[in-house]
Amino acid sequence: MTLFAIENLSVDVPGRRLLDGITLNLPEGQVIALIGHNGSGKSTLLKVLARQVAADGRIAFEGRPLSDWRPRDYARRLAFLPQTTPPAEGMLVRELVALGRYPWHGALGRFGPRDHEAVAAAMQECGVEPFADRLVDTLSGGERQRVWLAMMVAQQAGTLLLDEPISALDIAHQVEVLALIRRMCHDQQRSAVIVLHDVNMAARFCDHIVALKRGRLAMQGSPAELIRPDALHAIYGLPMQVLMKDDGTPVAVPA
Amino acid sequence: MMTPTRLWLPLSAALAAGLWLVAAMQALPWAEWPGLPMRPEAMSLDQILLGFGLMPRGVIALFAGAALGLSGAILQAVLRNPVADPTTLGISSGAQLALVLATILAPELLAQGRWPVAMTGAGLAAGLVLAIGARRAFAPVTMVIAGMLVGMTAAAIAAAATLAQGQYLLSLVIWNGGSLVQQDWSGVRVLALVLLLGGLGAAALARPLRVLSLGAEGASGLGMNVAAVRLAAVALAVWIAASVSAELGMVGFVGLAAPALARTLGARDMMQVLALAPLIGALILSVCDGAVLLVAGTSGEMFPTGALTGLLGGPLLIWLLPRLRGSTPPGTEAAEGPAPRLARPGRLLAALAAGLFAAVVALVWIGRVPGGWAVLDWQSFRDFLPMRLPRLVAAASAGAALAVAGAILQRLTANPLASPEVLGVSGGASLGFAAVIFAAPAPSALMLNAGTMAGAVLALALVAAFASRREMPAERILLAGIAVSALASSVLSAIMAVGDARAWAILGWLSGSSSAVGLGGALGLAAVSLLLWASALAARRWLGLLPLGAGIAGGLGLPLRTARLALILLAGVATGAATVFVGPLSFVGLMAPHLARRLGLARPEHHVTGAALIGAGLMLAADFGARMAGFPYELPLGLFASLIGAPWLIWMMMRAGR
Repeated sequence: MTLFAIENLSVDVPGRRLLDGITLNLPEGQVIALIGHNGSGKSTLLKVLARQVAADGRIAFEGRPLSDWRPRDYARRLAFLPQTTPPAEGMLVRELVALGRYPWHGALGRFGPRDHEAVAAAMQECGVEPFADRLVDTLSGGERQRVWLAMMVAQQAGTLLLDEPISALDIAHQVEVLALIRRMCHDQQRSAVIVLHDVNMAARFCDHIVALKRGRLAMQGSPAELIRPDALHAIYGLPMQVLMKDDGTPVAVPA
Repeated sequence: MMTPTRLWLPLSAALAAGLWLVAAMQALPWAEWPGLPMRPEAMSLDQILLGFGLMPRGVIALFAGAALGLSGAILQAVLRNPVADPTTLGISSGAQLALVLATILAPELLAQGRWPVAMTGAGLAAGLVLAIGARRAFAPVTMVIAGMLVGMTAAAIAAAATLAQGQYLLSLVIWNGGSLVQQDWSGVRVLALVLLLGGLGAAALARPLRVLSLGAEGASGLGMNVAAVRLAAVALAVWIAASVSAELGMVGFVGLAAPALARTLGARDMMQVLALAPLIGALILSVCDGAVLLVAGTSGEMFPTGALTGLLGGPLLIWLLPRLRGSTPPGTEAAEGPAPRLARPGRLLAALAAGLFAAVVALVWIGRVPGGWAVLDWQSFRDFLPMRLPRLVAAASAGAALAVAGAILQRLTANPLASPEVLGVSGGASLGFAAVIFAAPAPSALMLNAGTMAGAVLALALVAAFASRREMPAERILLAGIAVSALASSVLSAIMAVGDARAWAILGWLSGSSSAVGLGGALGLAAVSLLLWASALAARRWLGLLPLGAGIAGGLGLPLRTARLALILLAGVATGAATVFVGPLSFVGLMAPHLARRLGLARPEHHVTGAALIGAGLMLAADFGARMAGFPYELPLGLFASLIGAPWLIWMMMRAGR
């Protein structure tokens, strides 16, 4: 099944073309990484998929054109986390996670038993129960990122879009957060599209990698297909060497 | 430089010269013009009027415009802020306030000339705004919001002082509008000197400023003393602007327009902007003054040119807004440290409500009589109730409405400085009021109310149209509101410059009055406030999501455009209703939501409710103060509220954003 069917997608800002004629199908039920150099358009593509940026071209999500979805229906099927999470002034962890129920109850609907269940399950799944009654802004970076993930989980969406979710974390928390995302997807048949800077993290935690270069699709495939010196050279324009770890997974380093 | 420059500059110069010549020819045919050197004793009256009135006026327009353009260009360069200028940073208002206060409190200070006084006021205002800006990494939009707030506060205090002194200060009202009328060549000589010294200083600072355009870290990495260069450049710009203020009064927005136009005409480099801005500034002011001369003729030459440049400034600021790029580094608009959070906010809210009720009862019961205080017995209580209750109910309702509007706007923009005073609604309301005063010979209260509401709605529609045009960051919406306020206040100063009884009626209303309200009006206002509070509660989930930004709120399926429009409309109606009663400046809409938050009311529904109760209480306190402080005379209510609010506001901004 196709998650996103993208056809001839372009995004222009005055004086520059950010995305240029991208045609691409993203598969369902997989963890997909978007990689590329700075300014390659990977974040823009993610924002287009999240309907945060307007674009020319045709995009269908789960077989329906993007423009046909009503905002709350879309949010029930798809959750988006921007690169910089805003300060949640004066908000408790429990309250922030509960905001993920907005697509279900709307502005005036009752916060019912199903909403309570979804919030409790999301907090458990992301392991944020221990600090449920603390202020979000007092948490450490890794804890806070898990809280925002819990909010997305409470949304009960089948698809997660994440824009560089690990860019502000140390390496231990990077692994922790990506492992959590991977587990969430594989255990619950969710799909995820993640913008990542680190090609080795992408290879280790993702099933499918899409590489952009200067606003165009450079290549896509499994980690094994992309973590090769010639492919990486084509994507980043830099000679790369691929080493093998003991367990057989490849690791790319600048040559 | 680009071709448009070559085309536009000579064209505008020709236009300015032509306008002035037409005015001069009307005054005196060319054949009778005085020859050089001009000797007054040998000249006719018309020749003197031309040689010592119209001629220096034409020259001073050029010099003042050039000086303001230079000042604006320096400020924009040193602050790396394309919307900085002496008006938007509160510098001109500071000079104005200092002059008003000196005229009232210590006229002997002015014996040394207006310049030192104006300079002190301008310097203090600039220092205050820069101190606020320094705590927020000089983020351009924050700086301008702080500057405009300081300017509005200064204007409020100046209005209070003017009102207290009656006719005595009428000349200052004219001065506020920036009249270019001249009696001799002395002003020209002073400004020529200022322009010369300022130009030399700017030339000396040009290279350091260019290095500074890399940013503070980059510049100090290149071995520059960043603080010294910043101080020198700001001091130079403030000195130039204060000199113009002392000589001519408030000539708004030339310093904003000139560098902006210079950039539009193709000046890419900072040096080119510094060189071109004075030229363009001179032409702008010249053309404006020429237009004033043409329209008003020599007879109505008291119409201040500064009011006309102010009229251009508001739209210009709005036009510039979408062109601001990357102006606000993330996090710089955040509030000060974590506010506390109550575990049981219900108790606090109940206590506030009980306190409010007790205050209303107590305020009806006690009052000041000649020679002391009096607690009413039962009979007098019943007699006084119909007199005192309406104004208490109206004051409390207006305070609550403003507070709800403020809470909505602060949550909508995630900016603790947002308030209805800033959204331009109050300014629009004042314009509506003024329009009715001038259009109808003897306007009834109903007509005045309708006019005020219409003005508020119009200003609101303007800001809302701007906000809905595209995905606009919330603080830009705020700045659009400020631009509308600036436009309104310049129109008002133009109206006031006429200086007859109607101007005093407006000035009186501007400072807010609660004495005229009847029971019907008070209950109506109370009903409006209750309705607004209920609507805000209904929108509580929007109010909880919106502070998290467009990314999160939109990702959760919140209809951003609808929600923003609805909330802006709600805030606008609340402000319009309250403004009819308390006048446009009270700062209750700023203070009450902030106080509620600091008291630990975190969730939207508690925050809004607490803010409404606190706002009502603040306005009751202001009403009590206004009635008691000057007994047996009543001070204007809104004025009293703003005198409480202004120091609070400045204190809050000084400690915000750590």
